[in-house]
Amino acid sequence: MSAAIEVRNLRFRYGEGTEALRGVSFSIAVGESVGLIGPNGAGKSTLLLHLNGLLPESLRGEGSVFVDGIPVTVDTMHEVRRKVGLLFQDANDQLFCPTVFEDVAFGPQQLGLSEAEVRARVARALAQAGIPGFEARAPHHLSVGEKRRVCLAGVLACEPSILVLDEPTGSLDPRGRRELKELLRQIPITKLIATHDLELVVELCSRVIVLDEGTVVAQGPTVVLLSDEELMVRHSLERPHILRHLHPH
Amino acid sequence: MRHDFLDRYSRLASPIHGLPAALKLVSALALVLTVVLLPPSRPVYLAAVAVVLLAVAGLSRIPWPALAWRVVVLEPFVLGVAVLALFQPGGWRLFLVLIAKSTLCLLTMVLLSNTTPFSDLLHVAKAWRMPPLLVTTLSLMYRYLFVLVDEAQRMGRARASRTFVPQRRWAWHAMATVVSQLFIRSSERAERIYAAMCARGWR
Repeated sequence: MSAAIEVRNLRFRYGEGTEALRGVSFSIAVGESVGLIGPNGAGKSTLLLHLNGLLPESLRGEGSVFVDGIPVTVDTMHEVRRKVGLLFQDANDQLFCPTVFEDVAFGPQQLGLSEAEVRARVARALAQAGIPGFEARAPHHLSVGEKRRVCLAGVLACEPSILVLDEPTGSLDPRGRRELKELLRQIPITKLIATHDLELVVELCSRVIVLDEGTVVAQGPTVVLLSDEELMVRHSLERPHILRHLHPH
Repeated sequence: MRHDFLDRYSRLASPIHGLPAALKLVSALALVLTVVLLPPSRPVYLAAVAVVLLAVAGLSRIPWPALAWRVVVLEPFVLGVAVLALFQPGGWRLFLVLIAKSTLCLLTMVLLSNTTPFSDLLHVAKAWRMPPLLVTTLSLMYRYLFVLVDEAQRMGRARASRTFVPQRRWAWHAMATVVSQLFIRSSERAERIYAAMCARGWR
C-alpha cells in the first residue's frame, strides 16, 4: 500500500530567488498524525501549498510530491485537491463567500453534488466543526475562533482523506485551542499539522518532522524529538512544558 | 470596528425586512425607473413617491438619523450631476427637479440595501441568470471590502501609534504609503484567496 503523502527530494524557489525548499523528503502513512514544526520562514507553508499543487511553477516536470501514490502534476492536481483538504493560515483568505452556508458549500458544489446532498454535507460539516446552525451567518461578523471553525467545516465538507492544517490554533484563545484540539482528535483521517503550538503536537501527533531553512533536519517520535532540548533550541523551538509533566526526565 | 457600516441594518426584523428579496429588488428597480420617467413639470408626483418611501422607511425600523446620514453621504455625487443643469436655460428648476429625483433614487437604493442582506440580493441575481462570473465577482467584492477596511484601520492604528508630531506634509506621505501598501497587500491576498478556492476544487 502506498503512503498517504510522500515527498521526494522536493526543491522550490520563489520567483524572486529565495530558495524556500532545498531537497525535502519524508513520507506519511495512511491514518498517521504528523506534526510539522520549525522556525518562521523554514518553508512550512510553502511545503503545504505543494501538497495541493498550488504553486504553478512546481507542477512542471514529473513531480516529487505523491498523494496516495499519485504524482502531483497539472493533470492530477484536481484529483489531489479532492483527496487533500488544506486549512489555510489566515481564515480571511479562505472565507470568501458572503454567508457561512455558501462558503462551506463551495467545495461540495465544485464536486457537482445535488443541492440536497450539498445541504446535508454542509450541515454535517458544521456539526463536525462544532458550530451547527451557523449557515446564515456572515463571515465578517464572526470571531476569529468561529471563522477558523467555518474554515475547517469548509474543508471537511469536501470529505478529504488527508487533512493538512497550517497553524490551526494560531491566534485562538486557550479555550478555542482546547476545543479545536478535541475536534481534530475526533477526525479519524490522516493529518499533517504545521504549527508552533508544540503542546498541540505532543497531544495529537505521534511523529514530528522538523523543518529548518528548507530541509528536514530531524524526524521521529514526538516525545523523543521534542524532549531533545539541544535540537529544539538549535532550531528556534523549545521543549514544551507539557513534556516535563508527562515524561519528567 | 464598525465593519458592518455598509449594511448594518440589513438584518433587522421588520415587516419590510421579512419581504422576499426578489420582490424588494423588483420594486426598487421599478420605483427608480418610475422616478426617472416622471415628468419634471409635476412635482406632486415626486412628492407622492417621497411619501411612499418615507412610509417604507418608517415600517423598516431603521433609525431615521442613520438613514438620513447615508443619503447625505451619497449626495455629493448627485450634486455633481445636477450642477451641470445650471448651465442650461431655465436651469434652476431643472436643477431642483434633478436633485429631488436623484435623492429619491438614492433613498430607494439605501432602503433596499439596508432591508435586504447583500447575499440575498446575489441569490436573486443568480436566480435571474446573471452571468455566474459577475455574481462571483460581486460576492467577492462584498466579502473583501470588510477585510480591506479592517486592514486599513489596523494600518492606520499602527501608524498612529508611532506618529508623535502630527505634520500635514507627513500625513499625506503616510496616507500615500498606506494606500500603496493596501494595494500590494490586496493583490497578494487575492493570490492567496485564489489558492484557497483552487484547494477546494475551483476551476
